[in-house]
Amino acid sequence: MKDIADFTPPPQAPLRPPAQVMRLARMGSMFPTRLSFLRSLIRRLAAEEVTVSRPVWEMDADGFGHAVYSLVLGGHRYSLVAVSTDLPPEQRTDRVIATAWDSAYVLFDGMPDADDIARIVASAPLQEAARFTERDLVLSRANKSVRLFAHVTESLRAGCQPNEQMIRDVGYLMRTTAVYGNGKFGIADRAVIESRPGLEGPFAAEMLTVWLIRHFTHELAEHVGGAPLDAPLKRHLGIGNSTGLGMAPFLVSHPVLLNNWMLARETALARVCAIESVDAPTAARLHALAERAAQHLGEWQVPDADHQRRIEALRGDWDIFRATLDFGGPTPLARVMAAAEDQSLDLQELLAAMLIEPFGDLVDGLAECMGDPFGPMTLPLRDTAALRSGIEQYFDWALTPDYDAADHCGQFWYVSEAKQEPRLGLRFEEPGAELESPLDIARRVKALYRDIGDGAQPVSALLEQHPEHGLAVARVQMADRYPYGEIRDNLIATSCLPIDMLRCKLSFFGASKFDPKSDRWTRITLCQGAPLAGDLATGDADDWWLPVFAQ
Amino acid sequence: MILSGNELVALATKAARGAGAPPQQAAAFGRAALCHFQAGRAPQHLRAALDALPTGPILEIPLALTRLMEAAEGDVAEGVLRADAPSDFIQSYLEAQPFAITATASQDGFVLTCALSTPAPRVPSVRVTLPGGLAARMTALAAQLLVPDTAASRAGGAGAGLTDND
Repeated sequence: MKDIADFTPPPQAPLRPPAQVMRLARMGSMFPTRLSFLRSLIRRLAAEEVTVSRPVWEMDADGFGHAVYSLVLGGHRYSLVAVSTDLPPEQRTDRVIATAWDSAYVLFDGMPDADDIARIVASAPLQEAARFTERDLVLSRANKSVRLFAHVTESLRAGCQPNEQMIRDVGYLMRTTAVYGNGKFGIADRAVIESRPGLEGPFAAEMLTVWLIRHFTHELAEHVGGAPLDAPLKRHLGIGNSTGLGMAPFLVSHPVLLNNWMLARETALARVCAIESVDAPTAARLHALAERAAQHLGEWQVPDADHQRRIEALRGDWDIFRATLDFGGPTPLARVMAAAEDQSLDLQELLAAMLIEPFGDLVDGLAECMGDPFGPMTLPLRDTAALRSGIEQYFDWALTPDYDAADHCGQFWYVSEAKQEPRLGLRFEEPGAELESPLDIARRVKALYRDIGDGAQPVSALLEQHPEHGLAVARVQMADRYPYGEIRDNLIATSCLPIDMLRCKLSFFGASKFDPKSDRWTRITLCQGAPLAGDLATGDADDWWLPVFAQ
Repeated sequence: MILSGNELVALATKAARGAGAPPQQAAAFGRAALCHFQAGRAPQHLRAALDALPTGPILEIPLALTRLMEAAEGDVAEGVLRADAPSDFIQSYLEAQPFAITATASQDGFVLTCALSTPAPRVPSVRVTLPGGLAARMTALAAQLLVPDTAASRAGGAGAGLTDND
C-alpha cells in the first residue's frame, strides 16, 4: 500500500469557488472528462488487458434468447447475462412505468451455472416485479432503436455495411432505460463490491454493465444480420440511455459524493491551470482536441429546437474561440481559461473538460477520491452563533428568495404511488404537495435561519424545540468540509430545470450527445467511441473524449 | 421478507417519515435499523420506536447524540449519552455513526468517546430477514408518503412521452 505521507500533491491554481461551480445552469452545461466513471473503468480494463469471453449464446435466428459474457477484473470474475425477447411495438416505452422491454440484463458475481442462468432468464425480464439475489450485482434493461437495429441487420443481410449517416445520427442500437445497483430489488448491496479492485469507484459496476451491454448489442445485430460490422462503425455505436427524474434527487441526497465528484474535477482543472508551460507536442495535442470538439459539436444533432439552437450557438462560439487558442508563454492553460470568462457557460465547461484531457499523469489519480467510503465526517457546530455564521458563510444564496412567493415555490418533488419513482409537480395545480420530498434544502435553511434568533444557545436546544430543522442543521454542518456538496439554487422554484441536474450526473458517468426531450428527461449516449472488447490492449484505449465519427 | 441492506435502510427511513419523523431523524433511524438487524437485535424495538412517533426514541437518540457532540474538544467528544430508549436500540444508533466510537454501558447511560475524524470500521454487508408484521407496518407507513397518480402526473410528472419508439 502507498504511504500517503509520501505523497506530495502537484501544484495547483486556486479552485473555482463553489459559488461559481455549484449553480444549476453551469452544472447543466457540463461535459464528460477523463475523470468520468466510464473513462476510469475503461482505463482499468485496458491496464489489466481484460478479455471478454462468451460462454453461452442461445439465440434464435431473429435474435431472441439469451447469452452470457464473462471477464475477470481485479481478480474477480463477473458475467453479464443478457436476455433478448420479442417485444410488441405498442409495449415499447422508455418510461419507468413500462412493464416489458426488448432486452434485460443482470451483471452476475462470478460465472453463472445453468440454474443461475435459468433463474435470471426467468426473472430479469420482469425487472422491478421480480426479486434478485446477492450474486446479482446490477439489473438493467434496454429497448432497441428499432429504426437503426432494423437498418443495420437488413444491410448486413444484404451483404453491405449500414449507412454511416444513420449510425452517426442515432449512435446506438439499444438504449437502457434503467441501470439499478446497490441493493435494489434484492440485488447485492454496494458494500459487497466497493472494496474490490476495479469496482471501488462510484457506479463502476453499473458502467461495466453498460459497456458489456453495448458489446452484446453489436453481437446481436451481427448475429441477426449474419455478417460482421466494420470495426469503425461498431466503435461509433455506443449504448443509449433514457433518463428521467429518477436520478435527479440523488445529487441532493448524496452531498458527500457530489462534493467529491465536483472537487476532483475542479482540482484537476486547478492542477492543469498551474502548469508553467507546455511543450510543442502537448500544445499540438490540445489544438487537436479543440478540433475534435468542433467535429463532435458538428455531429451533435437533436430534434428539440431550443437545444439545437444552443448547440449551434456553441459551435459558432467554439470556432471563434479556438482560433484564438495559444498555448505558448507562462501558465498557458490558466490564461486560456481566464480568456473564456466572458464566454457562455457551455463554452467554459467544454474548455475545462478539454484542458484536463491531455494530462492523465497529473489528474487520473483524483478518480480514487470520488467515492464516499465513510459517510459525512463532520465536526459539530458548537452553538447557534456558529450555526448562524455557517449559514451566512455558505448559504447566503439560500436566504434571498421569498419562498412564500409562487415563483419561488412553484414546484414540489414527490414520490409517485406508481413504481415509487421521484416526480416533480406544480404546487398550485396538482395534489400531493403535503407529501413533498425534502429536496427543498434552500427553503429549509432559510426557515432554520429565521428560527435561530439572536445570541448563542446549544444547537441541541434549538433542535429540541424545532426538530424539523435537523436536516438543515446537518447540511450547514457539512458545508465546511464538503463545500461542493450543495447545489446552490432553489430546487422548488418554478424556474428550476431538473434537466440540469441530470446532465451534471450523466456527465460524470461519461455521457455525451445529450438529447433532451423535455426539461425533465433526456436521451444520451454512453460508450460511443469507447474501445471494443478486442481493443483494450491496443494502447489507445483511453483516447475517446468526445466521440467523433471515424471513417 | 428478505431485503438487501440498502432496501432496509430505505424502507425504514420512509416508514419513519411516514409516521411523522423529520427527514434527518428518519434517515438516522434507517441507518440504525440496519445495524440493529445486522447485530441480531430484537425487532420489536424498531416497531415500538415507530409507534412512538412523532415523539420517542427516533427523535430523542439523535438529540442526545447532538448534545454530546456539541461539547467536543477538537475532534474528540466524550461524555455520557442519556436517552429514554432500550440500550440495544441506542447501541444500534452508535454503530450507525460514520466515526469511531468507544462505548461502555453504565447505570447512567453509555459512556462514549467519539473520534470524530476517524472513520468507523466497515461492517460487512448482510441481508436482512424482516419479520412479516414489521415489514407490513413499515410498508404501510412508507406508503403514506406516496402521491397517487393523476392523469396530469402520468403525462408530465416524470417528463417523458407515453411511447418512445424510434
